[in-house]
Amino acid sequence: MALNIIDLSTVPADAENLTSFLDQLCNQLDLDFASYAMVDPFHGSVHGYANYPDTWKQHYMQRGFQNIDPILHKASRSIAPVDWTRFERDDLFAKVFHEAVDFGITPQGLTVPIRGPFGEQGLLSVTRNCKQGEWEKVRRHMIGDLQHAAVHLHDSVMSSSTLARLLLRPQLSEREREILQWVAAGKQQQDIACILAISDRTVEVHLRSIRTKLGALTTPQAVGRAIGYGFISPQ
Amino acid sequence: MIYVVDGLNADLHGELLDGMFRLRARVFEGRLGWDVEVRDGRERDVFDSIDPAYIISVNDAGRVVGCMRLLQTTGPHMLSDVFSSILDGEPPLRSPTVWEATRFCVDTRELGAGRSRNSVSYVTSEIMIAAFEYGMAAGITDAVAVMDPIMDRVMRRSGNGPYGYLGSAKPMGKVVALAGLMDCSQERIDRIREFSGIRHDVCQPERTDIAA
Repeated sequence: MALNIIDLSTVPADAENLTSFLDQLCNQLDLDFASYAMVDPFHGSVHGYANYPDTWKQHYMQRGFQNIDPILHKASRSIAPVDWTRFERDDLFAKVFHEAVDFGITPQGLTVPIRGPFGEQGLLSVTRNCKQGEWEKVRRHMIGDLQHAAVHLHDSVMSSSTLARLLLRPQLSEREREILQWVAAGKQQQDIACILAISDRTVEVHLRSIRTKLGALTTPQAVGRAIGYGFISPQ
Repeated sequence: MIYVVDGLNADLHGELLDGMFRLRARVFEGRLGWDVEVRDGRERDVFDSIDPAYIISVNDAGRVVGCMRLLQTTGPHMLSDVFSSILDGEPPLRSPTVWEATRFCVDTRELGAGRSRNSVSYVTSEIMIAAFEYGMAAGITDAVAVMDPIMDRVMRRSGNGPYGYLGSAKPMGKVVALAGLMDCSQERIDRIREFSGIRHDVCQPERTDIAA
C-alpha cells in the first residue's frame, strides 16, 4: 500500500485505533470523512466506526438511519466501489443526506464493499466535498489505495475475534511459499521470475496475494510473519 | 453493446440475466459438457446468488451473445470453493485488487468467424474491453480467469493471452479448464481495441434509477 498509515495488524483493533486509521486515511487522501461498518458473522452484531462529527453520529442513530441508509443495505451487493451517484434517485438516500448536509456532510462519496472468506461483508465509505470533475480525478487516483485500506481494515476487525483468528490462519499456496522463500533469500522479483520460469507479473500478483493473506503492508513484513507461522524457513 | 449488471441494478435487467443463464446452459452443459446444474434450460450455481457482477454482450437484435461473471478474490469465489482441482488443491490467490472471471462464453451458434460485429472475435473483445475498463475504474490490477482452451486460444491469437497461468489445465467435461492471469491495464485494453478495431464506448451508460 502506498499509504503511510497505522498498521492495524500490529495493534489491537479497538475503537481508538480504528478511528485513527480513518483519520489518517482522510488526511493522506485529502478526504472529508471516512466510516467503516461490518456485520459480525459470529455474533450478528453491527460494528461501525466513523470520524463524522459526534452531533451527526447521534442524530443518525436517533433517527434510526442505520435501518434505512441504502449505503449500509445496498452497497454490499456490488463487487466494485459504489459511487453514491448510483443512489441519486433513491428516496431513502435523499432522506438521510437531506439532513446530513445540515451537519456539513456532503452526499458526494463512495463506498468500497469488502467480502471476506466467510461471505461476511464490510463497507468502507469516504466523502469529499468538491467539484464533480475534481471528485472524479480524486476517485481515480485513490481507488487502488482505498481497496487495500478497506481489506486491511476489514481483516483486522475480523481477526480481533479469537474464533475468527483461528479460522483465518492464512493459507499460502506452494507457489506463494516458494516465492517468499526466494524473497527471504534476498532475490529480486526479476530473479525469482527467472528461477521459476514464470512472468514478472505473476511473481508480483503472488506477492500481493501473500501480503493480503498475511495482513502485511510490506513484503519484508510478510517474510517475518511467514517465518513466524513456519511457512518458510529463516535463511 | 455491453451491459454491466450487478446486485444493485439486477432487477432492471431480468430479461438480460435470463438470456445469459440460457446461453450459459447451452455453452457449459451443451458444448463444453461441464458438470453444471441446468434447470428449465438455465444454468445457475451458488455463486450467482451472492451478487457477482456480469458483463453481458447483446447483439443488435437484443439477443444475449456473450457473458462473463466477476467476483472478488477476497471473498467466496469459484477457485476457492469449487475449482480447486485446477489449482492442484492449492489455496487460491487473495487480493483486494484481483478479481476472478468465470463463466466467460460467447454464442458460437449466433456468431461467426472473421472480425465483423457478429463474430466470436468481436464479442470476445467487446466483453474483455468492458470487463477491464470496469475493473480499472474499481482499482483492480489483475484478473484470474477460469476458461476453456478455445477461449484461451481466441485471446492469444488476438495478442491478448494471459501473462501466466495458475495450477494446471484439468479435464472438465469434454474439454479442459485452466486459470489464466491477465493484467487489468490500459495497455491491455489498448491492445484489444487495436486488434478488434473497437474504438467506441462499449458500455451502455449506468442507469441511476435503481431504487426509485
